[in-house]
Amino acid sequence: MSCSSVEDIPEQCKDLFTQDGVLLKASIGRSISDLNSIGMLCIVQNSDGTKCIEWRPNDLITIDSDTQDQEWAVVNTIGRRQRTLSGNMTSDYAAARARIIRIPLDELKTFKCSRNNQQMQFSTKQGVWQNTFYFQHGNAEIFVAYLKNHVKTAKTRHDRNTYVVVEPNIESQVLNRSFAELDIFTENTTDVVWNLVSNFKQRPYETTLEAFSKLTDIVYYGNEGMNGKRDVSEEVAELLTKSMSALEDTTTVTRTDEYEVINVKPTLPPRPCIPRGTPLSTEKWEGLQDPEGRVTEIDGVRQLIFRGGVAHSIRNSVWKYLLDYHPWRMTDAEIKILQKRKTEEYFSMKLQWRSMTDGQESRFSEYRDRKSLVEKDVNRTDRTHPFFAGDNNPNLMVLQDILMTYVMYNFDLGYVQGMSDILAPLLLLLGNEVDTFWCFVGFMEKIASNFDMDQAGMKQQLVNLQQLLTFASPELAKHLASKDSGNMYFCFRWLLVWFKREFSHRDIMRLWEVLWTGLPCANFHLFICVAILDSEKDVLISKDYGFTEILKHVNDLSMCLDVDRILSTAEGIYHQIISAPHLSDQIRIILGIPTVGSRPEPEPEPEPQTSQTNGNVETDPGQTDMEEVTLEYNGLQISIVTKTVWALLA
Amino acid sequence: MAKTYDYLFKLLLIGDSGVGKTSILFRFSEDAFNISFISTIGIDFKIRTIDLDGKKVKLQIWDTAGQERFRTITTAYYRGSMGIMLVYDVTNEKSFENIKNWIRNIEENASADVEKMILGNKCDLDAKRQVSKERGEQLAVEYQIKFVETSAKDSLNVEFAFYTLARDIKAKMEKKQEASNPPGGRTGAHQLRANEQQRKPTSWLSRCSVL
Repeated sequence: MSCSSVEDIPEQCKDLFTQDGVLLKASIGRSISDLNSIGMLCIVQNSDGTKCIEWRPNDLITIDSDTQDQEWAVVNTIGRRQRTLSGNMTSDYAAARARIIRIPLDELKTFKCSRNNQQMQFSTKQGVWQNTFYFQHGNAEIFVAYLKNHVKTAKTRHDRNTYVVVEPNIESQVLNRSFAELDIFTENTTDVVWNLVSNFKQRPYETTLEAFSKLTDIVYYGNEGMNGKRDVSEEVAELLTKSMSALEDTTTVTRTDEYEVINVKPTLPPRPCIPRGTPLSTEKWEGLQDPEGRVTEIDGVRQLIFRGGVAHSIRNSVWKYLLDYHPWRMTDAEIKILQKRKTEEYFSMKLQWRSMTDGQESRFSEYRDRKSLVEKDVNRTDRTHPFFAGDNNPNLMVLQDILMTYVMYNFDLGYVQGMSDILAPLLLLLGNEVDTFWCFVGFMEKIASNFDMDQAGMKQQLVNLQQLLTFASPELAKHLASKDSGNMYFCFRWLLVWFKREFSHRDIMRLWEVLWTGLPCANFHLFICVAILDSEKDVLISKDYGFTEILKHVNDLSMCLDVDRILSTAEGIYHQIISAPHLSDQIRIILGIPTVGSRPEPEPEPEPQTSQTNGNVETDPGQTDMEEVTLEYNGLQISIVTKTVWALLA
Repeated sequence: MAKTYDYLFKLLLIGDSGVGKTSILFRFSEDAFNISFISTIGIDFKIRTIDLDGKKVKLQIWDTAGQERFRTITTAYYRGSMGIMLVYDVTNEKSFENIKNWIRNIEENASADVEKMILGNKCDLDAKRQVSKERGEQLAVEYQIKFVETSAKDSLNVEFAFYTLARDIKAKMEKKQEASNPPGGRTGAHQLRANEQQRKPTSWLSRCSVL
């Protein structure tokens, strides 16, 4: 095995993949002093086209300041890196160079992952592991995935973590095809980035969405696209994305830890800063209804609300739609009839418990238990707010009546702590008992799983949150896991009552109405969590907060959070994730978009207007002026920005 | 960073929803009472450092949501706790009956040698009382657990309860240390402050029943 012949290193070669923070644990023929030093593990293409795995100690690595953003230094896939090996070579430097380990891929026989995927061993000779590396940041999963792109492997029968190289130096078909395609489009001169910049001021949201996935691919696949000579066309971007996605199934390596489900992925696209909009105004709201009172632009309304919330003066009306009490397509006349029916239904349920005698109650323990819980919680719900303050406040009676009627509406679920928190802002805004009840029913529908008897819904959300955080902010996820907080239990309160305890009444109304739109993806409330945690990342990590401090810090954030900033950050993170080339099926499921496995084979599109986007935002390339961006999830085409909405936003 | 205490004890408050766990904790940590408390969602904790026989003892007291549904989450925090306060409401029969369930819950989730204490809270509300002091005492005898009636509102026996539990933990800990080390090994090197106002645990003995 040719490990160290320094002179062999070509002055210029291509790093196909680099992984920082890799510790050299063992290496045959090396002095002990070389061990336990940190470096970078790379897959390098030599000038003669051959490839090798290369480990470089950190003291050798110099950062090319003008081309390398720290953010992107972790993986500079296929990017050409000038190695600053020429010039003044000090003896230290030469010594460091001598410590480089090179494993030519055509000599590689087997490799193996172990220790929770954090350790990788390589062998060029049967039966001897010559080199052992330890991945300090995340694990070897991604490295293995990339490596398998360059060598054909088979898993051994006795150990699924050991790979035997079958045919060295064969690139995966799919990647080959991608590069071939890439060359075809070299002549395209449209500068996506310039368009992004110039359009951003006029149409920030649309432009971001339109160009973001393209930009992602350019950044991700190297900077050739940035110099204005080349555009990675959407077709290529798509193809590359798919080729990356195709790697997904090969990246699943043994998972021993329940919470260590997603492993650190190399890069996310830069986070766009998407400004918040103005609230849906009375004029706009009225303009979106036909003379009979039907809401004509449902998607448009939702998008406007997602972007800026609802003006306080029309919340009373709009919330009934958002909470599925009033159907969007109903006329005013139909709504009147509906309301009458719903009022009767409410009072008949209310009568059921109101007419219960003391004797009945004494023989009905399940009812009694529920009633007792309701009474206890009503008496301690938002009592500092003037609306609920003071002894014998009549609004407390209304809270109690609604919750007791809800017990009759859904006796099995009954009353669970947190429900009074959910209800209070609704009553505060709507005022009317019947309306509040039905809106509460609608809200409960959206968060029913929070109150599962076995808390399965909450646990699932906490797991999903952990997965999302690992994808969006691996460093923080790693810190939390190392502090015994990987179960994310410290976010329990946030999720259970949808941040009710973290914001003032004024802010919670804004946050909730945005979340009720269901945009831009399923489980956007988890992005709110990620956004908050991300903004606390530096504190949590730099102060090395442990288990108790993390909980304390998170609990103490209550009433100190800026709702608009968080919403903006959450949306930015959403776009980062949705545009990430390495978006995993696990994340796709959380976002409610089709998984790669279930994606239909690419075929000629029968309808040129509809592009198969799989979550990537695209415009129809044929119509550059088209002001409609579509996003597909759950099989639905969701229009992100329509002409109507933009006219209203303007 | 130097420690400002000699011992750190992790304590836990458990019991049915609305029995006053948060109020007891608030009384002990802030010496205050608020009639309009909010229910505890999830978990929280407060810290108070007390002086116990010349030692600074930092109490980290965890407060949990009471409703049974949340137990799968809250029991995750039982781990490592050295003392547990089992709280019921003397005006609520059901919360008293449930103490047995809570004890079972402890046996399943906490370490076997955890120190326990039963608190019958809201003893100021005599007119609404459903559980007599004698029944509380009886239960405590049955389980060999110390018992005291408390009122977070009137600040009755809350200090005493925490001091008692902390002292029991300390005694148990020192006994263990003596068993493994020769006596006199501790130098108190971490002790930095000694001027905290001395509280007088003995004065409470007259108005509570300790078994």
